[in-house]
Amino acid sequence: MSDPYRVLGVTPSSTDDEIREAYRNLAAKYHPDVQGQGPLSDIAETKMQELNEAYDRIMDIRRGGGKPSSEYTQQSHSGSSLFAEIRRQIQLGNLSIADDMLERIDTERDAEWSFLKGSVCYARGWLNDAYHFFSNAVRMAPDNAEYKAALSNMDNAKKGKMNGDNSPYGSDKGSLCGEGLCDTCQLLICADCCCECMGGDIIPFC
Amino acid sequence: MFGYIRPYKPRMEISDYELYKASYCGLCKELKKFGITSRMTLSYDFAFLLILYMAVNETEISLDKKACIAHPLKKREFVKSCDALTFTAAAECISVYHKLKDDISDDGFMKKAAAKTLLSGMKKPYKKAKKLLPELSSLTEEKMKLQKETEDKKTKSIDMAAEPTAAIMSAMAGGITDNPEKKRILMRMGYLLGRFIYLCDALDDMESDYKTGSYNPLLLQEEEYNPEKIRSLAKDSIYFTLGELSNAYVLLGDIKYKTITDNVIYMGLPFVAEKLLKGESITKGKKSSFLTEGNENYNE
Repeated sequence: MSDPYRVLGVTPSSTDDEIREAYRNLAAKYHPDVQGQGPLSDIAETKMQELNEAYDRIMDIRRGGGKPSSEYTQQSHSGSSLFAEIRRQIQLGNLSIADDMLERIDTERDAEWSFLKGSVCYARGWLNDAYHFFSNAVRMAPDNAEYKAALSNMDNAKKGKMNGDNSPYGSDKGSLCGEGLCDTCQLLICADCCCECMGGDIIPFC
Repeated sequence: MFGYIRPYKPRMEISDYELYKASYCGLCKELKKFGITSRMTLSYDFAFLLILYMAVNETEISLDKKACIAHPLKKREFVKSCDALTFTAAAECISVYHKLKDDISDDGFMKKAAAKTLLSGMKKPYKKAKKLLPELSSLTEEKMKLQKETEDKKTKSIDMAAEPTAAIMSAMAGGITDNPEKKRILMRMGYLLGRFIYLCDALDDMESDYKTGSYNPLLLQEEEYNPEKIRSLAKDSIYFTLGELSNAYVLLGDIKYKTITDNVIYMGLPFVAEKLLKGESITKGKKSSFLTEGNENYNE
């Protein structure tokens, strides 16, 4: 196995806090809640596993130090065997087969059907259709965590959120066009809001 | 070819900017080997493909300094010929050739005439490129046929309309490496970059397509022509694409030249999108031709 410190991008002299921070940052990129059911989810999963192992090993070496609660464990899915088979085909990347199987079902086009249909579209990169079907799935089964995660993942993207984005703009991509005065105002207003939260105020009328 | 993939200059380190420029100049010089015409067709998109190639394959580049046709008075740094350049230049020739062939069937007399002239000059470069990347060339040919069908059928689905361009870019980016895992990541990235390019182009052309009655899937989304509404629809599609692109991109991990690729992906692309979504053109007012696209903007 590779050097666990390298996996986390830290050194043996890094503090526990630094290592925890590095773990959290990387986990946020690879986590299945973010990566979803895309065609690269297996790569993301492997990376997540490597990360978990590396983190465990470092913590073993150092003794003690609890793991951040964000640790990922594989979920298992229930559902009819046909849907389970379709899921398997999607995971294997056999999208045409999965789609054919889905299209042949015309009786029970329930939430699971919509979700799987959305997953096929998502894996193909047909993101508009994927969003449509994920929305349907959530509408039909509002409490299903998996469907909700898939939809909220796309909703975040819709708002301009990008994975691993450390740019000064974050999800406020609109401000890329208007660097300058407008930014300053926004910054002030933002600072004012922060101040107000803490009980202070830098713009009295705002 | 389109020029929608570009860095966000105000936030670029100067050393990165110099390297980007040198890559661009290197690509231009490399294209000369394919033929004079191919040189006039260079765009930003392929400069990024080149950077991505060098990033993933950890290409150590060497620079040289020379004057050239475009800048006869001042010597400029350029990346010396290497595998990355050969690959990118060939991919460009293939892509441009097919784009020109597509333009010929387009409406508009001027566009047609310009495409015809350029196309005759691109025959030789294309032949050469086809030898280097036979698979990409046949896939591009096949997908351009699909594109024609999509247009003829006046397909309403935005996903379907973007598919051919996305598939071509997917194959192109996949050609960067033989490492199976990285190849999959790059193919996904390529697909989404192609989708991004297609959506930007559709947005950029929306008004003119409305006037001429040309096919544009964005125009088919609403019964009546309502640019604001269409833009907000396009915005969702574009941001889905960028979000998913970033999901694939982070899986590449710490690549070489990451500050450059980060700049393009997290700022350059959203900047282009935001501008287009505001109804501004990215090519400075006039819709650029192959002769002027990209080049002029880069010489500031």
